[in-house]
Amino acid sequence: MRARGAAAATYAVSLALGIAVWEAAASRIGPAFLPSFTATATRIYDHALSGVLASALQSSMLLFFTGLTFAIVAGVAIGLVLARARHLRVALEPYIMVLYATPMVALIPFILSMLGFGFTAKALTVFLFAVFPILYNTIEGARSLKPEMLEVAQSFRSGEWGIWRDVLIPYTLPFVMTGIRLGIGRGLVGMVAAEFFLSGSGLGLLIFRSGQDFDVPGLYGGIIVIAIVGVVLMGLGRAVENRVAAWRGLER
Amino acid sequence: MSAPSLTVARATGWARFRALPLSDAGARILAGVAIIVIWEIAVRLWAPAYVAKPTGIALALPRVVANAAFWEAAAVTLGGVLQGLIIALVAGTVVGAAMGRIRLVESLLQVYVNGFFAMPMVAILPLVTLWFGYTGDARLATVVFAAFFSIALNVADGARAVPPEYIEVSRAFRGSAWSRLFEVILPSSVPYLLAGLRLAAGRALIGAIVAEFFAALPGLGYFILFHTRTFRHNEAFVAVAVLALAGVLFEFALARATARLLPWYRRDEKAA
Repeated sequence: MRARGAAAATYAVSLALGIAVWEAAASRIGPAFLPSFTATATRIYDHALSGVLASALQSSMLLFFTGLTFAIVAGVAIGLVLARARHLRVALEPYIMVLYATPMVALIPFILSMLGFGFTAKALTVFLFAVFPILYNTIEGARSLKPEMLEVAQSFRSGEWGIWRDVLIPYTLPFVMTGIRLGIGRGLVGMVAAEFFLSGSGLGLLIFRSGQDFDVPGLYGGIIVIAIVGVVLMGLGRAVENRVAAWRGLER
Repeated sequence: MSAPSLTVARATGWARFRALPLSDAGARILAGVAIIVIWEIAVRLWAPAYVAKPTGIALALPRVVANAAFWEAAAVTLGGVLQGLIIALVAGTVVGAAMGRIRLVESLLQVYVNGFFAMPMVAILPLVTLWFGYTGDARLATVVFAAFFSIALNVADGARAVPPEYIEVSRAFRGSAWSRLFEVILPSSVPYLLAGLRLAAGRALIGAIVAEFFAALPGLGYFILFHTRTFRHNEAFVAVAVLALAGVLFEFALARATARLLPWYRRDEKAA
């Protein structure tokens, strides 16, 4: 309890110092490049009051979670199937690795000219960004499953479904969570990239338009909001991952 | 030819295939060929003519390779990525080591480093162009921003995880603070540094490409943008392949460096 209080105090001091540095820097640099923190905070408050922020947030989150959901379903399903089909896994692994290392942003112009700039194209972008870390970690997790465990299940005459339900899925879950946490980070990048480069919407459009209009406080405000969204979503992913990891620790 | 004999032939063929001692390399090559064939057929059947397909890419390849502008673009983009990575590596190591070893620095910076790391870095593009204009500096700044925080965070973890005994030995031998930093703390943080660098490299590539998209800077990103807009997807895809190759080569180089510098360290243990 006291440790938590101390941590909160440290955060508060650190944030207060950051704001002080910002204000000092802003008064030297000038509002064209760095508006004061007060001006930026006021702008966020205006956006929040007028409902602009809420509707941008809602649109962005709908896009993000649509893409992420498909990425989780596809990544986990394909990953688990590959875990059970050895030949297929060995055959496809190098290609999955290459796709994992490929910067997916490079595909956005292709998506634009093939699918246009509707919601589907944007959700596909988020999906492509998020799916490979999930797929990769699921395969890695399922592969690290000890053959003895499968042998035990088989010698108890467990069917394929039983192996999945009692061994494969529970064992792989913590790895999946790690993949999902990484997928959240990448998916957010995909979300903003889609909102910038496909068609303007959500938080991306809010930031983009502020930049176009030289509404510099709005630009900084939008970036702060998206940073907060990132911290919250990554924190959520990490919290779930740690919960599952703790359970894995007990199991070993 | 009668039907029964056909099914028999097929059955034995399938059985033979099942029994085939399919080597790993063979399976991979087979899968690669299958992917290429399926891609080609799918595009020919269902997609417009301009969509990239293996034969189209093969035909476009000599054209693109002979194009000096392509190599200039590749040099500009990959050079920017490398330059940014070096800046981020130096700055990230300094900040990370300070965060890992000095309590005050850690408590002051942690919120910011974590926050900027979690933030989708594409969002800063309008800000970067405001500060640096529509120039190569904007790309460099985006790359540094994309790469810096993952290196700083990992080095901080590494510096924090130095076994206290090492520090005690260094103190017992009256080692100076400098020697402690360069001979104890940094060497024992190298595995973390490499993990951070691996993450940073992927982010840096993304950063360079989005900066080129956003600010229309010459480079591979813009090469892709221009060629897809003029419906020359095959040419554009060659640039994507070069980017993928750069990503894979960097992974390889890091794996080699890890094996060389840290023979006792197994990379897959920290794959997450």
